[in-house]
Amino acid sequence: MKKLTFILTILMFVGCSDQLDLTNPNEPTTATYWKTEADAMRASSAMYNSLIQDGAYMRMIPALSDGRSDGFRADTPWPDLWQTAAFNVPSTSGPVEWVWREHYRLIYRTNQVLTFVPDMDIDQALKDRILGQAHFLRGLGYFNLANNFKRVPVTDALPDQDEYNTPTASEEDLWQQIFDDFSAAKDLCPVSYANVSGPDQGQVGRATSGAATGMLGKAYLYRQQWQDAADELELLIDGNSPMAVYSLVDDYRHNFDIDHENNSESLFEVQFATPEQVGGSVMNYCCEPNANWMQVSSQAYTYAAQGYGYSDFLPSQWLYDEFNKEQTASGNKDPRLIDTIVSYEPSENSTTVYGDPWPYQSQDAIYPRKYTNEGLPYPELREQSGINYRVLRFADVLMMYAEAQNELNNQPVAAQYIQRVRDRANLPDRTAEFSGYTKQEMRDQIAHERALEFAIEAQRIHDMIRWGWFDESSPRYKVPELRQRDSEFDSWAPGDEYLPIPQRELDVNPNLEPNPANN
Amino acid sequence: MALLACFTSINAYGQQTVSGTVIDASTSQPLPGVNILVKGTTRGASTDGDGAYQLTVPSSADTLVFSYVGYQKQEVPVNGRSQIDISLQPRTLLGEDVVVVGYGTQQREDVTGSIAQISAGEMKKFSSSDPSDLLQGRVSGVQVRSDGEPGAVPSVQIRGIGTFGDSQPLYIIDGVPVGTSIRDFSPNDIESVQVLKDASAAAIYGSRAANGVVIITTKKGREDTPLQVEYSGYFGIDQVWQRIPVTERENYQMLNNEGQRNAGLTLAPGNDPSSNAYIDDINTDWQEEGLKTGQRMNHNLNFSGGGEYTTYNISLDYLNNKGTLVGHGPDYERYSGRINTVSKKGIFEFGQTLYYTHTDENSLNYETNVLTGGRPPMIVDLVTAIPTLGVKDESNVGGCAGTQSDVHRAIILNVPCINQLLEGETNVDRTFGTAYMTADILDQDSHQLKYKVNVSYDRTNVRNTYWVPEFEMGFFFNNTKARLDDGQDIYTTAVIENTLTYKGDFGDRHDLKVLLGQTFQKGSTVNRNGYSEQFTQPYFPVLDNGTNQTASGSEFENALESYFGRVNYNFDDRYLLTATVRRDGSSRFAPSNRYGNFPSASVGWNLHNEEFIPLPDFVSEFKIRASYGQLGNQNIGDYLYTNTINPGVVYNFDGSKVIGGIQTQISANDIKWETKTTKNIGVDASFLNNKFDLSAEYYQSVTDDILVGVPIPLSVGATNSPTVNGGKLQNSGLEVSLTYSKLKGDFTFDLTANFSTLSNEVLSLGGDDEPIYGTGTKTEVGGEVGRHFGYVTEGIFQSQQEISDHAFQNAGTAPGDLMFKDLNDDGVINADDRTYLGSGIPSYNFGLNFSGNYKNFDFTVFASGMAGYKVHSRMYRMLMLTSDYLNYHTDMLDRWTPENTNTDIPRRVSGDPNNNGRNSDRAGWLQDGAHLRINTVSIGYSLPKKMTNYLGVSSTRIYVKAQNLYTFQSYKGFNPDFTSGVFEPGYNNGSYPKPRSMMVGLDIAF
Repeated sequence: MKKLTFILTILMFVGCSDQLDLTNPNEPTTATYWKTEADAMRASSAMYNSLIQDGAYMRMIPALSDGRSDGFRADTPWPDLWQTAAFNVPSTSGPVEWVWREHYRLIYRTNQVLTFVPDMDIDQALKDRILGQAHFLRGLGYFNLANNFKRVPVTDALPDQDEYNTPTASEEDLWQQIFDDFSAAKDLCPVSYANVSGPDQGQVGRATSGAATGMLGKAYLYRQQWQDAADELELLIDGNSPMAVYSLVDDYRHNFDIDHENNSESLFEVQFATPEQVGGSVMNYCCEPNANWMQVSSQAYTYAAQGYGYSDFLPSQWLYDEFNKEQTASGNKDPRLIDTIVSYEPSENSTTVYGDPWPYQSQDAIYPRKYTNEGLPYPELREQSGINYRVLRFADVLMMYAEAQNELNNQPVAAQYIQRVRDRANLPDRTAEFSGYTKQEMRDQIAHERALEFAIEAQRIHDMIRWGWFDESSPRYKVPELRQRDSEFDSWAPGDEYLPIPQRELDVNPNLEPNPANN
Repeated sequence: MALLACFTSINAYGQQTVSGTVIDASTSQPLPGVNILVKGTTRGASTDGDGAYQLTVPSSADTLVFSYVGYQKQEVPVNGRSQIDISLQPRTLLGEDVVVVGYGTQQREDVTGSIAQISAGEMKKFSSSDPSDLLQGRVSGVQVRSDGEPGAVPSVQIRGIGTFGDSQPLYIIDGVPVGTSIRDFSPNDIESVQVLKDASAAAIYGSRAANGVVIITTKKGREDTPLQVEYSGYFGIDQVWQRIPVTERENYQMLNNEGQRNAGLTLAPGNDPSSNAYIDDINTDWQEEGLKTGQRMNHNLNFSGGGEYTTYNISLDYLNNKGTLVGHGPDYERYSGRINTVSKKGIFEFGQTLYYTHTDENSLNYETNVLTGGRPPMIVDLVTAIPTLGVKDESNVGGCAGTQSDVHRAIILNVPCINQLLEGETNVDRTFGTAYMTADILDQDSHQLKYKVNVSYDRTNVRNTYWVPEFEMGFFFNNTKARLDDGQDIYTTAVIENTLTYKGDFGDRHDLKVLLGQTFQKGSTVNRNGYSEQFTQPYFPVLDNGTNQTASGSEFENALESYFGRVNYNFDDRYLLTATVRRDGSSRFAPSNRYGNFPSASVGWNLHNEEFIPLPDFVSEFKIRASYGQLGNQNIGDYLYTNTINPGVVYNFDGSKVIGGIQTQISANDIKWETKTTKNIGVDASFLNNKFDLSAEYYQSVTDDILVGVPIPLSVGATNSPTVNGGKLQNSGLEVSLTYSKLKGDFTFDLTANFSTLSNEVLSLGGDDEPIYGTGTKTEVGGEVGRHFGYVTEGIFQSQQEISDHAFQNAGTAPGDLMFKDLNDDGVINADDRTYLGSGIPSYNFGLNFSGNYKNFDFTVFASGMAGYKVHSRMYRMLMLTSDYLNYHTDMLDRWTPENTNTDIPRRVSGDPNNNGRNSDRAGWLQDGAHLRINTVSIGYSLPKKMTNYLGVSSTRIYVKAQNLYTFQSYKGFNPDFTSGVFEPGYNNGSYPKPRSMMVGLDIAF
C-alpha cells in the first residue's frame, strides 16, 4: 500500500507547466524579424505583392477605372462590373470593397517597413533604397484611393489595438501625404537598380527615383499645381537630369505585351508572370499570400473578345470614331486603333481574331485588344495572363508636361510635346497649328490626344474627373455630351463618378465619412 | 458490484441469501445487468444473462433496491423471503436513476445540477450518421440544426449562443474529451447520453465546458453472462420531397426579357424570339435532373458477455448513406469496430476501450480556382439555374452543357453534370483507445477511497483528395489543366488523468463524496497537401502523373493542464450540496494569462423526504435545486497571441521569383480565458406514483471576455480580424419537460413534451462597443446577436409623382420599384434609414415524443420544432432578384407591371437601379421560420416468445420507420432548421435539403 501511495503521489503531481510553452513552428514571430539584411529585403519584396491582387492591378483597378470611362462600356453578366460602368454601383459591391481593402493592405505593409527598417543595422544605402520604395508604394496606394474614393483615412503609423478607427482625412492632408511620399521616394530611390551594390542589384521592377518623380508630377497635375508638375516632369525630359533616361518605344503595342516589359518607355510597372515563369498553383486573387501563389493578371481574359475570354467590356463606338478622325501621314488609320481595339479593318490588313477569320456576324463589332494577347503568339489562358501592368510610361510624362505648360500659358511648348507623342503614331505634324491654340482649344486637343494614347489604361475616368467634366458648377461640365458618347452616363448622378466607400467599412468605422457616391 | 458481494459474503450476522429473477414489466423479457443493492449499504449484486440474481443480505429486515438504466427504480423489503422476483417498469427521459456525471456517477435523486439524459433505447428512434443529431428535440434547452447531406455535422447549441466562436458543446466519450464533433462515432455503441447544461454539472470539465458537455457512455459487457449476439440493421431510401417552384422556359424568358426591356437593354439572344439563337426546345427542370433517390443502411453486430472477472463488449458497424444529388456525392460510408473490456482482480480493476473507424465521404467541395466567382452552395446553384440550358453537350470536353455569353449571357452552374466531373473525397481513419486502472485503496462499509488513472490516445488520419479533369462548360466555367489535390491531415490528442475518490457515510444521515484530480492533455495537428496538374488522357490521377508538383504543409500543437476537486454532500437524502473547483492552464494564452479558475456550487432539497412538510399524496417526488458557477472557454486557434510574419509573400522582378515576408495579420497579445457564469434553479417532481414527471428550470448565463474575431476596419490593412476578449453576452431561458407514463395494461405508453425559451442579449462588444455586422444583420449592445437589419418598405411606387413626392432613393427609381421609408426624415434614403427587422434566433424550441406498446407492437412518433425567428434565404432572394440572369421563383409572376399594380413584388428591371434587392422587410425577404418537423414515425413488432423459441433466438423485432416525414412550415426554402454563422443566425446560405427516409429494420438477439 505504501508503494502504491508513493506512485499515486508521483502521478498526481507531475508538473507540466513548461509544457504549456509551445511556439509556432510555422512562422517567425515579429519579435525575431526585422534584424538582418535578408529580413529587410524580404519585407521590401513583400510590399509589392499587394499590387498583384484582384483589388489592385490584377483586375479591379483596370476594370473599375476603364469601365467608368467614355471609351469603354460593360457587357457582362457580373452585376458589379456593369453597375460600376453605369455609375450605379451599390456600396455593398464586393469589387469596390476589394479595391479599398487591397490598397490599405499595401499601405499597412509599407508602414511596417517605414517603422522598422530605419532602426535596423544594415547598409545605409540599401536601407535608403528600401525606405524609398516603401514611400513610393504608400504614395501610389493613397494616390489610387484618392482618385477612386476622393477622401479616405490616412495613417502612417502601425495599427493601435485601442484605436483601429482612423478618421477620414481632409483632401489636403491626403494629397499632402501623396506629395510627401513621392518626394521622399524621389530622394531615396536610385535611378536604376542595374548597378547598385547589394542584394537588390539588377532587380528590374523596383521603384526608381524616375518613377517617383513621374508620379509626383502626376499628383501635382491632378491637384492643378501646374508649375510644380512641370518642374518635376521636366526632370524626366531634360537631358541634363540624371533621371532623364526614358524614351518612347517605336512600337506602341510593346507597352502592353509580355515580350517588351520594363522597356525604355516604362517608369513603373506591376510585375505579373505566368506560372510557367514563376510557378504557383493558387490564384493570387486576394487575402493571405503563400509561397505557392501564382502571379497572374485576370485582365486579359476579362477583356478578351467574345468567344476568347469573358468579354466583360467593349470599347465604345465613340472611342472607335475618335481614332478615325485623323489619318496617319501616310494615309493609314491611326496604328494605335489596331493596338487598342479589335475591329474589322481590311484596309489595315487586320481582320482576324486570335488567328481566326473574323468570327462575328457583324463587321461593326468591336472588342478590346490592349492588354489582351490577341495578335500575339500566345493563347488566352483563362485568367492567367503574365502581362505587366504599366502604371506610368514616358508618353504620359510628355503629355502631362504638355498639359502643365498649356495651363501655364506656354502653348508652343505644349504643342511640341503633344506632337512628340503623335509622331510615334505617325500622325501629321501639327505643331505650328497647335502652338496657335487658345488654352481652351489646347485643353480640348489634349483631351482628344489622351483619349487615344491612354485608352483602356485606367486613366481616363480620373482625367475626366480632374478636368471638371462631372462638376455641374464648372464651365467644363460635360455630362450631357458624355451621354451622347456612352449611354452608361444616363444613370450618372452627381458624385457617382467616384466609387462609394464600402458600406461594411462605414458600418465598422464610426470615424469614416461617406463620399458623394454613397447615396 | 459482484466484487463487493464477494467481500461482504464473509460477514455472518443474521444474514440470509435471497435469489430471484428480474424481468421487464412490459415485455416480460429477462433483464440482465440489473443492479441490486441492499439499501443503506454498498452491498449488492447484478443479474446474469437470464435476469437471475443471488445475494446475501445482512438481515432479513433489509430492503433491496433494484435499479437499471432506463427503468424505474424499485425498493422491495425482504421481509424474510428468500425468493424475490421483480418486474421493472421501463422509463424514458426522466427518472433514470443513475446519472453519469464528470468523473463518476450519481443517483438521480442526488443530482443538484442541470443534467438531461437519453437512453440507448430512446436514441434508436432516430437514425443518423452523427450521434449528436439524436439530441434534436429530446432535451429541453438543446438546439440542433443540421443540413441534409450525408455525413453533415449538425450544429448543437446548449442554452443559446454563449460565445461568438465555436459554440459546439464538449463531447466526452467514456470519460475522455473528443472535441466538438462526434461524427466518427457509431450511435449503435452508445449506452447512454447525458447532457450537462448548467455550470454546476459541467464545472468539472471547467476549461472547455462553457458551451455545455455531452457525456457519452458506450456499452459494456455484463458479468456471468454467456455470449450474447445481437444484430440490428435497417435499410431505407432517401428522397427530397420538397421542390422549390421555379419558372419554366417560357416564363423565364418572358420575365428576363421584361427586365432587359425595362432597362433599355438588348435581349439575350437565347431569349429573343427574333434572334437566330432563340431557344425554344430546351426546358430543363434542374431539380428533376439534379435530385435522385438516395439510400441509407446500417448493419450492427454486437457481441457481449462476461465471466466472473472479465466482461467484454465487441461491436462491428457498417453505415452507408448515399445522397440525393446526382453525381459524386454527397455520400457517406463508415466502417467501425469497438472492443470494450473490463477485468478485475482484488482491489484492482482494469478497463480498456478501443475504437477504430474508417469513413469514406464524397463531399460537396468547391475548388475556387475552378468554380470561380464565389459560388453559393451547389443546391442553390441547382435551383437557380436557368431552364434554357440542357444538361449534356457532347461537343464540350467533359460532355457538360454550359451557358454561352452570346446566347444565354447567364453564369450558372450545371450542377448534375459538374458534380459528375469533380471528385472530392475525404477518407478518415480514426483510432481511439482508452485504458484505465482503478484501485480500491480503502474499502470499508462507510469509508471508501478509490484511485483511478485513465490514459487515452486519439489519432485521426484524414486524406482529402480533389480531382478536377479538363472540361469545357460554356464561357465561364472551364478548366484547361486537369489537376489533383491530395492532402493529409493528422490530428492527435493524448490525455492522462489521475483521480482520487473518497466516499464516506457518517452515521445514518451524512454522505460525503470527495473527488480530487489532475489531467494533462496534448493535441497536435499536421496538415500536408500535394498538388499537381496538366494530367493527360487517359487519366491516372495520382500526383506523379502531373506537372508543377508542389507540396505544402503546416503544424500546430496545444496543451492543457488542469487540477480539479469536487465535494458532494448529502444530508439524510434531504439536503444536497455539490461544490466544484477547477484550475486550467492553456497553451493558447500568453504565460501571464495562462491560468483560469472555475468554481461552482449547487444545492438541492428533496422535499418528499422531509417529514415536517406533508406533501399531498399525489406527489411522489419533489426536489428543488439551485446552482451557480463559472466555466471557461478557449475554443480558439493555436498561437493567436503572438504576432507572426507571413514568410510566403511572393513577387517577381522581371520574371525572377522572389519570396518576401511581412506581417499580414494582427494579434492581441493579452487574450485570456473567456468565462461564463451560470445561475440555474430547477424543480424535479413526480406525481401519482410516478405517472407524471415534471422537470422545470430557469437559467441565466453571462459570458464575459468572449473570445471573438471582432471585425476591424479594412483600413487597418490586416488580412484577419484579430481574436480578442471582446464582448459580453447574456442568455436566459425556461425549460420544461413533462412526461406522462401509462405503465399498466396491454397498452402502455410514454408521452413526453419538452419546451424551452431562449432570450439573448449582448451586454458589451468590447472596445468601443462598435456594432458587428453580418449578412443582413447587425449585432449591437442591448439587443440579441445577429438581428436582421435593413430598410423598411412602405409599398411600391405607382407613379412618377409618387417618386417625386417621396424621399430621394436613386436616380433610376421608376414606378414599380420599392418605396423605402425615410426613417430619419432627411429627405434621402441612405444607410442611415436602416433599422432592426426581427430576430434570427429561434426563441422557442419544442419536442414531442410518443412511444407506446400494445402487446407485441411498439409505436413511436417524434416531432420537434422551433419558432420565433425570421429567415433570410439566400436561395429565395436569388430567385427573386430583379437583376441578373438566374431562374425565378414562381412568385415573380406576380411582379409589378403597369397592368398588375396591386402586388408587393417590385418590377423586373435589369441592373436594379433602385436596389430593390437590398436588405429590407419586403415580402419574402425575411420569412417566418416557425416549423414543426415530424422527425420519426415508426411501428415495430416483436416476435412472441413462442416464435423466438422456435427460431432459436432470444428476441426479434422488425420495424418500419419514416424519418423527416413532413415539416409544417411557411418558409419557402428547404430547411427552416439550417446551420448558420454566429453573427447571422437567421441567414440560410443554402442548406442542403433533409431527405425523407423510409426504412425497414430488424433487431435480433441470439
